[in-house]
Amino acid sequence: MSGPCDTPAELAALVADAVRARTRLRARAIGDTAEALGAAAARWGTDAELLRDLPAVARLSAPVVAAAVRIAAAALDTSAMLALVEHEFGAGAAGRPAPAGPSLVGHVLAGNVPALGLPAIALGCLVGAAVVVKSGRDDPLSAPAFHRALAAVDPALAATVVTAYWPGGERAWEEAAFARADVVVASGTDETVAALAGRLGARLLAHGERVSVAAVSREGLGRDEPLAERLALDVALHDQRGCLSPCAVYVEADGRLSPMAFAERLAAALDTVARALPPGPATIEERAARRTLEGEAEWEPRCRVLGGAGGLVVYDPRPAFRPIAGRRAIRLHPLDTLAALPVMLPRGRVECVGLAASGPETAALVPALRALGVARICPIGRMQQPTLAWPRSQRLPLGSLLGRPGPSALEVEA
Amino acid sequence: MSSAVSLEAGLAAAIATREALDFEAWAQRIFRHQFERNAPYRAFCERRGVRPETVARWEDVPAVPAAAFRRAELACGPPEAIFRTSGTTDAESRGRHLVPHLALYRASALGAFERFVLPDGARLACLFLVPSPALRPDSSLARMCAWVGEAFGRGVEWLVGRDGLDVERLLASLADAERRGEAVLVGGVTSAFVRLFDACAARRLAFRLGPGSRVMDTGGTKGLGRPLSRAGFLRTCWTMLGVAGYHCVNEYGMTELCSQRYESALRDRFDGRGLAPRRLLAPAWLRTRVLDPDTLAPARPGEVGLLCHHDLANAGSVSVVLTDDLGRTVGEDGIEVTGRAAGAARRGCGLLLAELAGS
Repeated sequence: MSGPCDTPAELAALVADAVRARTRLRARAIGDTAEALGAAAARWGTDAELLRDLPAVARLSAPVVAAAVRIAAAALDTSAMLALVEHEFGAGAAGRPAPAGPSLVGHVLAGNVPALGLPAIALGCLVGAAVVVKSGRDDPLSAPAFHRALAAVDPALAATVVTAYWPGGERAWEEAAFARADVVVASGTDETVAALAGRLGARLLAHGERVSVAAVSREGLGRDEPLAERLALDVALHDQRGCLSPCAVYVEADGRLSPMAFAERLAAALDTVARALPPGPATIEERAARRTLEGEAEWEPRCRVLGGAGGLVVYDPRPAFRPIAGRRAIRLHPLDTLAALPVMLPRGRVECVGLAASGPETAALVPALRALGVARICPIGRMQQPTLAWPRSQRLPLGSLLGRPGPSALEVEA
Repeated sequence: MSSAVSLEAGLAAAIATREALDFEAWAQRIFRHQFERNAPYRAFCERRGVRPETVARWEDVPAVPAAAFRRAELACGPPEAIFRTSGTTDAESRGRHLVPHLALYRASALGAFERFVLPDGARLACLFLVPSPALRPDSSLARMCAWVGEAFGRGVEWLVGRDGLDVERLLASLADAERRGEAVLVGGVTSAFVRLFDACAARRLAFRLGPGSRVMDTGGTKGLGRPLSRAGFLRTCWTMLGVAGYHCVNEYGMTELCSQRYESALRDRFDGRGLAPRRLLAPAWLRTRVLDPDTLAPARPGEVGLLCHHDLANAGSVSVVLTDDLGRTVGEDGIEVTGRAAGAARRGCGLLLAELAGS
């Protein structure tokens, strides 16, 4: 255990204190909470200690961590939070206290991407709950740092938040943290969330393993935009560890660039991006995965592997989606028509689709992608920069914490 | 064809008669054979500028990735049998090992099994926690167990049926063996042993199998609902079956290979050596190199890398296979498997039960 307490009993006491502190803020307007969270995020984004220590812990390069911190801080923009509140709770909601909801929200954060604690804490606070956050193994620093920033700008709100870390599966700590939670949001591997589901039952909101893909239409290929460079950035951020990281790109054939030419351009762009955002140290498993990819591709008819130190592009003429392992590795599939994209994707596994396509082409895809379970559609180059309104796994960010099932939510960012 | 048969038959005879093998000479001879008869492999070698005359050492023979067995027919002649890898994902892309000369495979499998699992010459009743070859004709593990039963067994029971592990029949067979005090060999996939242990725990059952009984498990805990360490596995073999850790042997094999490695404990005990460190040993006709994933140069001793097997018994297909498995050398003669490449598809005989349960 690292954090503010040494035993499960101490953690349970901290959680109980947080719930009591939240009761004292019952009359506070949501807008005031959003103001405090926004100010804390801005302060957190300049935390020199965090920027210094996180790269080693997260196994990411310092520039990649700096970019991740910048993106996470920007997502907690006060006006964006106010807009989300008004969107979900109705006009004028920001001026009122939070609607009746959970007294305690628990979060189990995945370790793959840094700074997941920020939206977790913010969403819990915005629904008027106390929040207890268990950090992921690869980032036990961000959430406590944000808690410190919040304490500096709004001690009363900070008193409603507890951050902690313990190795996953330690039942005594888990019980101490979540015994009183009305809802627990868990992100992680399918194995992790399945194990938690067995213990938490209906209180669990699970976010298991998801992937993201990009797609480029002929219209998109024809634009005078640095499309390959933007996609390379989406791949490189977080070293491609996140559920919003594209692991495949579908490119319509017969455009201004052939899919193979786009693959070559993307491979070059990955190298260019890597100079500004170098990859972190690779594990032996990741290095082995790269070798495996190269070996496999040689035996696949018409497959090609392109790339160097910055990443790999596997040109794969078979259109069906296939998982890809490794760091900064992406499969590129040629496609006759973008309309066929939904047929190629697995149901319930794709979180985000980054598109370079016309408005009508995008609109035509929305119903089928929604039916597949896609939660976010955005331009290529924005895939790693979701707003707080991102409806993860098609769940409303605030409503899901209040137990409001809502429709299958899909955010389309123009 | 006749020279192919003579090469493979010759190797099978050499293995069966336990004559000393000149690994280097066999490796070069087999590479020449494969280069001549295995067109996809020849093309692969030529892309690398490698031909039989350029190979000076067995380490120079090009390794195909295990994935090649999914995409190409890597055989030097018409297959007598085709074995398929198990896996719960991407079922259409399972690896296929075309084996043109089953007698060589049989000689290799039996030679290694006898050396590492039955070094004392014991002949035991066999309880196999795998499907029979009749149920899974494409399972190399089932075939291997059948050969073991025929050659070394005093009766064979197959305890995995169409619906998976037949726990009731297994418990009855164990109780019967315990009552008779007869030594048995319980062999099968690790996940089936875990099912057995769970059933024993639920019913508060424990067996004391006869002295000399032994356990052979394979496949690791892939496809398993709960984690179980190796130490935990060995402890449970003792508490629930009465089989001591030195009579428990883990097998490491893959469909793409005709030879297997086995844990060292039983052999070390038979030879009067200490049991530590437990490591995976190979027969004389199988060598394994640990390679740096970036350069494919040999890793330093003890350093983790990709496992690359050179199996002479694969004479009928491709002998050198670069796997997705990570491991390291242990001592002078062993290896330890430590993991898999990131994102590598789950596969292996440990998934046999999951497949049957899901079919």
